[in-house]
Amino acid sequence: MTENLSLAKAINRGLQRAMQDNDRVLLMGEDIGTLGGVFRVTEGLKNEFGENRVLDTPLAESGIVGTAIGLAMRGFRPVCEIQFDGFVYPAFDQIVSQLAKLTSRHQGDQSFPIVIRIPYGGHIGAIEHHQESPESYFTHTSGLRVVSPATPNDGYHMIQQAIQSNDPVIFFEPKARYWPKSDVDTDGTSAPLHQSRVVRTGTDVTVVGHGAMVAMLLDAAEVAAGEGISLEVVDLRSLSPIDYDPILLSVEKTGRLVVAQEAPGGTSLGSEIAATVAERAFYYLEAPVMRVSGFDVPFPPAHLESLFLPDVDRILDAVDRARGY
Amino acid sequence: MAVVDFPLPDVGEGLTEAEIVQWRVKIGDVVAINDILVEIETAKSLVELPSPFAGTIVALLAGEGDTVPVGKSIIQVDAEGAIPAPLHPAPEPAVAKAPAKPSKTAPAKGASSKKPAAAPEPVLVGYGSGGHVTSRRGSRTSPDATPAEPAASPSPPPVVYPAAARSAVAVLAKPPVRKLAKELGVDIQSVLATGSHGEVTRDDVVRQSQVKTVFRNVATPEWPQEREEYIPVKGVRKAIAAAMVKSKFEAPHVSVFVDVDATRTMDFVKRLKASPDFQGIRVSPLLVMARAVVWAVQRNPTVNSSWTDKDIIVHHYVNLGIAAATPRGLIVPNVKEAHTLNMKQLALGLENLTVTARDGKTTVDDMSNGTITITNLGSFGVDTGTPIINPGEVSIVVLGAIKQKPWVVDGQIEARFVTTIGASFDHRVVDGDVASRFLADIASIIEEPAMLLD
Amino acid sequence: MPYTEATLQLLSVDGVLVESDRTEQHRALVDALSEQQLRDFYREMVVTRRFDIESGNLQRQGQLALWVPSLGQEGAQVGSAFATREQDTIFPSYREHAIARIRGVDPVAILALLRGHTHGGWNPNDSRFRLYTIVLSSQALHAVGYAMGTAMEGKSGTGDVATDEATIVYFGDGASSEGDANEALVFAQSYQSPIVFFLQNNQYAISVPVVRQSRSPLYQRGEGFGIESYQIDGNDVLISYAVTKLALDDARSGKGPRFIEAQTYRLGAHTTSDDPTKYRDSAEEEMWKTRDPIARFDKFLRAKGAQDAFFADVKQEGEDLAADVRRRLLEHTPPTIDAMFDHVYTDEHPLMIAQKAWLVDYEASFGGDR
Repeated sequence: MTENLSLAKAINRGLQRAMQDNDRVLLMGEDIGTLGGVFRVTEGLKNEFGENRVLDTPLAESGIVGTAIGLAMRGFRPVCEIQFDGFVYPAFDQIVSQLAKLTSRHQGDQSFPIVIRIPYGGHIGAIEHHQESPESYFTHTSGLRVVSPATPNDGYHMIQQAIQSNDPVIFFEPKARYWPKSDVDTDGTSAPLHQSRVVRTGTDVTVVGHGAMVAMLLDAAEVAAGEGISLEVVDLRSLSPIDYDPILLSVEKTGRLVVAQEAPGGTSLGSEIAATVAERAFYYLEAPVMRVSGFDVPFPPAHLESLFLPDVDRILDAVDRARGY
Repeated sequence: MAVVDFPLPDVGEGLTEAEIVQWRVKIGDVVAINDILVEIETAKSLVELPSPFAGTIVALLAGEGDTVPVGKSIIQVDAEGAIPAPLHPAPEPAVAKAPAKPSKTAPAKGASSKKPAAAPEPVLVGYGSGGHVTSRRGSRTSPDATPAEPAASPSPPPVVYPAAARSAVAVLAKPPVRKLAKELGVDIQSVLATGSHGEVTRDDVVRQSQVKTVFRNVATPEWPQEREEYIPVKGVRKAIAAAMVKSKFEAPHVSVFVDVDATRTMDFVKRLKASPDFQGIRVSPLLVMARAVVWAVQRNPTVNSSWTDKDIIVHHYVNLGIAAATPRGLIVPNVKEAHTLNMKQLALGLENLTVTARDGKTTVDDMSNGTITITNLGSFGVDTGTPIINPGEVSIVVLGAIKQKPWVVDGQIEARFVTTIGASFDHRVVDGDVASRFLADIASIIEEPAMLLD
Repeated sequence: MPYTEATLQLLSVDGVLVESDRTEQHRALVDALSEQQLRDFYREMVVTRRFDIESGNLQRQGQLALWVPSLGQEGAQVGSAFATREQDTIFPSYREHAIARIRGVDPVAILALLRGHTHGGWNPNDSRFRLYTIVLSSQALHAVGYAMGTAMEGKSGTGDVATDEATIVYFGDGASSEGDANEALVFAQSYQSPIVFFLQNNQYAISVPVVRQSRSPLYQRGEGFGIESYQIDGNDVLISYAVTKLALDDARSGKGPRFIEAQTYRLGAHTTSDDPTKYRDSAEEEMWKTRDPIARFDKFLRAKGAQDAFFADVKQEGEDLAADVRRRLLEHTPPTIDAMFDHVYTDEHPLMIAQKAWLVDYEASFGGDR
């Protein structure tokens, strides 16, 4: 069945489906029960599944992740919500020192099938700590898997796949994309969780991004097409592990790559992609890999966010520079 | 019973040394496991060390007040019972013996001249992981086979053969090579790639640029002020002039030409370059041409002779001259006994000749007793010419640029590497049929180098 | 003196049972113990202490990176361990060697951890004794989550103490300052989880005395969160047993979490890298030796009629264990390359496959085998 859903609603449906399919799946987070979450992503789920499966937790991020770990030890499959990107840091120790390492520490005796959902990214004009892009702290940490859906259809399927994974998954939800609607095939199957995908074919330059950036890259491709430049757009979908094959095939064709991200560029996911592609597609590259990123400053007051965040012009500027070689 | 050492452990997570404060035992004492042997002082604290062995003290290897590095033995015990097997000191810095000659060809395992150092010791906690490394671990078997660290695992791109669907396949080249191509005005798409991964190399670009025109690089000078310039006729110029006149007007010159598909030669050159035997040796189409000329001489001996009024002296050996433009002028040194040389030896001979000439060290002997000459205009991008025979000889072969041109292959027009081979002959000795057969023989090799296997 | 009016005690430092209204319930539990059980308390304390000393020696002999002594804390650990029921789950910090042994974990596994062979070393599902956690107080949250899950499954609160499950988590005075310890108390109280928080106050967090962590007795922390809390003389193995048993049974019965502060003393250093002479004086250590858990229990058992033969037998058991542990540690199989890659993820992971294959090839290229 195809439904026209927003990303928020699609994830809601995916959570519902996952909870129906497996009664060990639990949701936990601040305001997710009665209120249904500040973005309404968990709306209706407490009514359907009860307060023993949809927990309104105390206001303690480290506590949320730490108790989720204990629940996983007990055989549950907890799905935690961290209310906003900027509030994940109190839980950082439990995620990085514990969750990421526990599977290895137990050497096969215990799994930790925990999903941590985090709304992230900018473009919503919010106050400090509400528009962060902390992906690379987690992609840098072995023992975790990190994914980010760009579309409602991916949101619906990927949340279920993340819950089915037997490993810890950090699930980054681009909040700027929570509300626009598009088709979701609720009966169909989906690409594997950790696969990237070409979402628009082209011949001149490959552009890669994830989350909210994908829609912007598609806009940039439209504008470029009007100028006679053909961009091939790749949606990463999985940030760790990264599926490089579609990117490499694309670069073999175009010889030029631009990576775009909201996060500050220094020591970022984009840096990793640039280095890996330069190594693996060295002979195919006609230009250095270009990165379009946020600046290496704390996310500014919302008034300045349009200066900070990459936009279509910044992306096309990088495309132009790549083509200039 | 066995005499065993107790090396100083790292008792404090990363300490590197300790001072012996007080021995609690003396030589001859009998100790049990855990009896205190010594008190030491570290950067962090005073520590008593219990004995790992039961037995009799044989030697104290450090004195009170001495500072001992972690890993150095401090005491010897004639021990009974089980000796803790993994108890060993931190890795000593590897003593560098005469290093194995690095070789790109994979040596047989263990073929190096020094025993490979052991894999890095697993860290024995209690001894830290210190110790300088002063040499590599040892010889690797086929290091080229180990791919780069797998954060970026390699998949070498397929070899691209540009004569085939060129437009459909991307050109592979390293960034500096692309830059060079742009600077030289070379369309990198048109360059024959000879790199081992199918990529266009710097040499490929340079060769292509020379084929097009080397003079693009040279700036056009200003018109000189004076209307006439006088260059004295002397030295080499005078000698060249005299030789040219003598040759041209004594020997009736006739020239013949043939166009040939040199694609297989270009491919052969590429394979030779990749061969381990030819590592480090300059390989170019000239090498194949030279070999072809020698072979053709064997089939048409009279082209390799000298005219005297009394006899035509047919030489049954080939001293192959190569016309070389040097700063001093045009010279023709020759590779002696070229008919006895195999491909590799011929390649070395040609290389040696070129280098010597470039360095201005060609001797009179080098330039004497040539029997046949090759002149190569290809590096100037010129197709062919009508060369003047080197005095004392009866033939001169001229090679031109190897360019991609339309050619008919199995009824279809394809882009192939095509070149013109020309030769001038002294008609007193060489008639048209011999000339043509000689040229055709050379061409047949260029067209199919495998004929050399005959 | 760290004791307050609230401190509960059954056995004085002289090894004599003390009478008090406040410990009537506890006394009853102890009176119900058999001679064998009491001797087992002693045996476990003594053998663990011998193991502890041997492990310290092994470290000084270069066989361990580190040893973490539990010297002096045997009373709190052995008493509370015997209070747990088989179906209970224990979350230790990293110093609970006596409890590990009592629950069936091979002591050599603990040594292998400190030898750099593992980061864990035993299967917690076998013994219900979870792996050591080095980041202080992290395990408190894991324990609460585990207890929450227990309640959700209906495995606690049925009223049948023989089957209802409880969780107990151990941490120290230093750890009690960490955010996670306090968040754990929040969650436990909020969800009324079947968990006992057992705080071993050994008076020091490495070199920092407990007064820096709190100016009030630490059991009042628990009270501050609304949790029923007790302070005990942790060097009294009998009160440790009794208070913990009652607390666990309360927790497993759905009466909510409990908090126990056990006053004890870390007679040894924090670890073998530490030097206590730099921050505490021998007078204090000597004073605490007079409060030693083993010494007083020795007196208690003798007064009850235990003979020299028994004590000699226990001592020998300690010696035998020490020799056995020494031998087996030195033979312990070090980890292979697989241990680095194979269990980072539960599901197959392309990067683990690729990186391990690379390392295997790389090592093999030197001609030797690893």
